[in-house]
Amino acid sequence: MGLKTSTLPFTERIADAAKDQFAHASIAKAQDTQYTKRENARAELGHWQDWRKLGQSIRQHVIQYLPDYLEEFSDNVEKRGGHVFFAQTTDEANDFILNVIKQQNGHHVVKSKSMVTAELDIDKKLQALPDVSILETDLAEFILQEDDWDEPSHIVFPAIHKNRDQVQTIFKKLGYDGDNDPEHMARFARKYLRQRFLEADIGITGCNFAIADSGLINLDTNEGNADLADSIPKTQIVVMGMERLVPSMKEAEIMDNLLARSAVGQKLTTYVTFEGQQSAGESDGPEDFYVVILDNNRSKALGTEFQEILQCIRCGACLNVCPVYRQIGGHGYGSLYPGPVGAVLSPILGGYEQFGELPFASSLCAACTETCPVLIPLHNLLIKHREVETDRLKMMHGFTDFQMRVVGKGTSSPFMFKMALRFKHFGLSPWTHQRPVTATNFFEYNGAMITNGPGMVGGWTDVRDLPSPPKHRDDFRVWFKHHKQQGGETK
Amino acid sequence: MTIQNRDKFLDHLAERLGQPRHQLADHPYQQLNDLPQQTLSDRSPAELLTLARKNSEALPVTFYEVAPVELPQLLTDYISSKGGGPVLLPTTERFTDYNLTDWQASIAATETVNYWQPDADRATNLKAAEIANISISFADFMLAESGTITVSTNAGQGRALHFLPTHYLSIVPRSRVVARSTQAVAWYEQERAAGRLDSSAIHFITGPSNSGDIEMQLVTGVHGPLDVTYVVVDD
Repeated sequence: MGLKTSTLPFTERIADAAKDQFAHASIAKAQDTQYTKRENARAELGHWQDWRKLGQSIRQHVIQYLPDYLEEFSDNVEKRGGHVFFAQTTDEANDFILNVIKQQNGHHVVKSKSMVTAELDIDKKLQALPDVSILETDLAEFILQEDDWDEPSHIVFPAIHKNRDQVQTIFKKLGYDGDNDPEHMARFARKYLRQRFLEADIGITGCNFAIADSGLINLDTNEGNADLADSIPKTQIVVMGMERLVPSMKEAEIMDNLLARSAVGQKLTTYVTFEGQQSAGESDGPEDFYVVILDNNRSKALGTEFQEILQCIRCGACLNVCPVYRQIGGHGYGSLYPGPVGAVLSPILGGYEQFGELPFASSLCAACTETCPVLIPLHNLLIKHREVETDRLKMMHGFTDFQMRVVGKGTSSPFMFKMALRFKHFGLSPWTHQRPVTATNFFEYNGAMITNGPGMVGGWTDVRDLPSPPKHRDDFRVWFKHHKQQGGETK
Repeated sequence: MTIQNRDKFLDHLAERLGQPRHQLADHPYQQLNDLPQQTLSDRSPAELLTLARKNSEALPVTFYEVAPVELPQLLTDYISSKGGGPVLLPTTERFTDYNLTDWQASIAATETVNYWQPDADRATNLKAAEIANISISFADFMLAESGTITVSTNAGQGRALHFLPTHYLSIVPRSRVVARSTQAVAWYEQERAAGRLDSSAIHFITGPSNSGDIEMQLVTGVHGPLDVTYVVVDD
């Protein structure tokens, strides 16, 4: 489906996400498990804050001199005998890839997990080609493909919303007759995928980092599927976002260390590979090597307050600490890029009309900023998006905007503010209901609660308690005034 | 034309950045600190070996330290323990370096042994890797910090040798056990710069293929070898 993964309105997506109890539990478990693994791995490395600064300095330098690094990289790919295509749009990239497959007379395409190729929606384009098969080979992506191309819900664990029984049902359609043990199902997938790998003539991979000074690409996987995709097929097509470069292997090694610890708490990803066009004398690896470098609106972030989002290395750590992601999951965002990074990146790539709600899908707790291995100030960027939408683009319309204007007027006028305080109890009385008084709520609100509150108040009362405000005579300000008049202690 | 649409693309980026192209020569990247080089730099070779064993076994990897004279028997026993051949071996002079030429002859007498052949075509070598129950490689380095071995592709030791066989064993000399990936990358960059290494693929392999994609339960052997063994040989 490309960058936008749902046509449903934001509120409907959230409501759907709230119903999925398994996904809720699974995400909570993943976040809790990954917290321990990630923090232990970082602590064991030591000097984590200085490592983050090191990673940030590499990424910021590359972005600052991006045209030069891209030129150096493409020159070196060419020197090795490869080809580079610069694509401004997803259509340009897709057309080029489809042409390569046609020219190479390719029939069997194997893919390793790649966010950028999902951005292209290349799978659907390949499905439309006669005599061409396409297979996602990452286990999670394979599961999603076989479940009628279900959308991913996490950057690192795309099928986190699926349970073992669902996977078993999906695999049964392929001839699996075993139980729901993940190890047994993984063995089945291994056998199934192996045959398809061996007949593949085109391998499509992503790229964790492109090495500017050598023309090699750096791929990190735990399954090894990217290594099979770049070893067996005669042709390899690499698709990368234009910002995914490092100056040399030396900096790639640093980024790989940050990535593995931040993504899943590993010291290194199981397979860290630096590879490119086949060298003389070698018999496997790509004889024909193509790199597609995609802009797709990334350049809109350059030279703006959002430039730092291009530092992202797609570790997914910000998802794994986000309280909003924990509640609404990946599908709630409706973007290929969920979580805090997605809430910042999606409006840049797809525009505010499509993804304008996402910067508001945050509590601004800054846990994402605290965990980011390359020091992207994610929560500040979300605030900047909100500023753009409200102040620059004037996108806030309708009843919410009206309410905010009323609140703005009311709180900026002492008279109006005092009037609001005086009549708050009476004004909210239509929505006030008495709950049984208990030992725990007696001193808090005496049992009077606002339920199904009006307008924006409803957003709060739908999910949280809101005690009824006290009558004017019981108000703290009134009490304080009387207390002071009676000579009471005020300090 | 092997590079398409470049200038227009890069000019646009430069315009967005508000600076002309070709500034990098005057502003090369300067590493902010020396943490990569300093991490574990205080460990002795013996300490690094101990750390390498601990981290490898945690992956899990079967880890052996042997004297050169013990290596042939260990390899024979290993092949037997994994159910025998077909065995896939690289074509390399390192067999001579490790005094394994007699072992090569003896194992070929009892097991099906194939070699990754420098003069064979893609299909032949891939078929040998596909049918192999076991492959044995020679590693360039072992990384103590992560329990990793590093291998570089050449005409006699192709990429798929490391990924298609069911069981995988890699041999590394004790003198090549280094602290971390920093040292290995520095060596590869130095060799490439000097023109002594023209490998199209360098792999850092840290244990067996694995996945946590089904309910986060870690399983091994989704694509690559089901199990991995490291052998550190005294030198």
